[in-house]
Amino acid sequence: MQTAIDIHSENPRRGRAAAIASLRAENVHKTLGTHPVLRGVSLAAYPHEVISVLGASGSGKSTLLRCLNLLEVPDSGEIWFRDEKLDIRPPAGRNGARIGDARQARRVRASLGMVFQSFNLWPHKTALENVMEGPVHVRGLTRRAATECAEHYLRKVGLIERRDHYPRHLSGGQQQRVAIARALAMEPEVLLFDEPTSALDPELTGEVLRAIRSLAEEGRTMILVTHELSFAREVSSRVAFMQGGRIEEEGPPEEVLSRPASAGLRRFLDPVC
Amino acid sequence: MDIALITESIETLLGGVVLTLELTILSLLIGFGLSVPLAFMRASRSQWLSMPVLAYTYVFRGTPLLVQLFLIYYGLSQLAFVRESFLWLLFRDPFYCALLAFSLNSAAYTIEVFRGGIQSVPPGLVEAAQAIGLSPTKIRLRIVFPLAFRTVLPSYANEVVGMIKASSLASTVTLLEITGLARKLVSETFAPYEVFIAAGAIYLGLTFLASRLFNLIELHLSGAPPDKARFPWLLKLRQAL
Amino acid sequence: MGGFEEQFLRGLETTVLVAAISGAFGMLVGLAGAAAKLSRFRALRMVADAYTTIVRGVPELLVILLVYFGGTAALTALVGSYVEVSALWAGVFSLTVVFGAYATEIFRGAIQAIPRGQTEAALSIGLAPWQTWLLVILPQMARIALPALCNLWISLLKDTSLISIVGLSDIMRVAVVGAGSMRDPLTFYLAASALYLMLTSFSLLTFRLVERRMLAPVH
Repeated sequence: MQTAIDIHSENPRRGRAAAIASLRAENVHKTLGTHPVLRGVSLAAYPHEVISVLGASGSGKSTLLRCLNLLEVPDSGEIWFRDEKLDIRPPAGRNGARIGDARQARRVRASLGMVFQSFNLWPHKTALENVMEGPVHVRGLTRRAATECAEHYLRKVGLIERRDHYPRHLSGGQQQRVAIARALAMEPEVLLFDEPTSALDPELTGEVLRAIRSLAEEGRTMILVTHELSFAREVSSRVAFMQGGRIEEEGPPEEVLSRPASAGLRRFLDPVC
Repeated sequence: MDIALITESIETLLGGVVLTLELTILSLLIGFGLSVPLAFMRASRSQWLSMPVLAYTYVFRGTPLLVQLFLIYYGLSQLAFVRESFLWLLFRDPFYCALLAFSLNSAAYTIEVFRGGIQSVPPGLVEAAQAIGLSPTKIRLRIVFPLAFRTVLPSYANEVVGMIKASSLASTVTLLEITGLARKLVSETFAPYEVFIAAGAIYLGLTFLASRLFNLIELHLSGAPPDKARFPWLLKLRQAL
Repeated sequence: MGGFEEQFLRGLETTVLVAAISGAFGMLVGLAGAAAKLSRFRALRMVADAYTTIVRGVPELLVILLVYFGGTAALTALVGSYVEVSALWAGVFSLTVVFGAYATEIFRGAIQAIPRGQTEAALSIGLAPWQTWLLVILPQMARIALPALCNLWISLLKDTSLISIVGLSDIMRVAVVGAGSMRDPLTFYLAASALYLMLTSFSLLTFRLVERRMLAPVH
């Protein structure tokens, strides 16, 4: 609990009106197949904020996260990275929405670290190689500098002694920590977590949550899609509750989670009543 | 059956191994080089990219290699633009005709093998690469292709063995590789059993070696524990690339 | 094409005939080979292993040359005067041997892919072992083996062209003769390509239809 309070006191929310959001979605719509998954979602992450996005499965929270780094391209609405609007082409004819400026998308993605539910480590590369890939081939570091960078972040997630292991020789929790190191090695502005513990056995979630918590304590800007309610309550500066492709409620965790205003969130928090 | 004659024949026929290997390895290399970009086109969602490649693989896999070889060896000379250009320097030589036919044929099969591998790569691994901002070319060369290649290694090994065997068709355009030498030897000695069995033994050795090699590579790629890799030099080579 | 149309037609007949006979015999060899590979008897397994390893490691052309010239030499020695083996039967024999080796591997793989429980279930309801094979194993095996058999059949169709080298009057042979006598190799080899492409396309379509029909009851 102590940690959560620390974050809040450090969080410069007073200057929020003046500050520029690090990452912002504005009235985003997205239909997958014939199913409207996002129906006008706006969300902004300001520097040093930790935002948890909650909601039942199918509420659109993962799609929202994937829209933020254009793994899904919104049908309409805007995505802003700091003061830069991302170039999105709306659907035309039979073609779906697509990225307008591939270079921009790549540059922005490099500044947004993404951690996936299913880790998505590259199985043909060792832990170190997985982490080094971005520094060498996107950031353009020398091999020596990239190795140092990768080792730094592997040490940070507590896996430096596993640097030469292939993903298949690592536990799920270890794989996810390598994936976090891989995202960190890009020195990203914002970290995006897509249900990072959902694919893990319960006894392995702890090590991953600890790693995420320590990142929150560093004051990193993060958006976290999660099912871990108590964890979200502890680390978040803000929570957003999604239902039916919309954000139903949004605010500080102590308010939103203790005094839910909507019936949907009340049901979500306490399915029994 | 004359065992002494068999061993004698093997000695003579070994002289053709170099040409067989030359044809096989060069065709495989050219076929590989052609098939990597074409396999990505073939696997593409765009019909404009995939259909022309499909037409190519369909025709080359649907007709006998012998016809393709004769079409190139006998047919190309009918085309004025071939006869009257530098191409003639190449294609009046049966070696280059065989090389062209084998390369195009091998590429057609290899494209379909690689396409299967490319399409089997889990989309999440590509997304992870996109998420760190890797360029599309680098995603293909560093993530998708290596993974695809690992998946289809057994099929590709069959392709390699198939190419060793297919190179025997070079004997039909006067080249004296193993089979060509064997046919010549038979016409001199009138001992078809001994000579052809000797040739078969040599091919068997070559195909056995090729499949052993691929077994080793597969073993190395799939099961070797990280800290005691069976081929340290391969790991170093990979890290250097 | 200078009257070669009719010859091409006869060549086409020969090609199909040779492929069909070799394919039919090759299937029998393949079934026997697979049974041998899965047999309890070590000797049988070793013979089958040697057969598939050797045949699949040697060029098809070499098998044809060995059977044709070897057969001729053997017959000549036997009879005492020069006797030539028929290119057709030498070709059929060679391609049967080749087809059988690959079919052995396909059938073996397909049989092994059927869960053991299937046999146990069949025996448990009182089916005799031969009934189990005929009613339970073979139909399932056929379904699993079908795509690979389709590829093998297409290889066989194309491999028949190699028999032209020892004188079989198939499509390829007609093209070679025509190309030489009319001094127009492009036309003749393109015509041959078209005929082979027609055969392989027709085969693909047929297999596709059979496959659909076989899979239908599952849905």
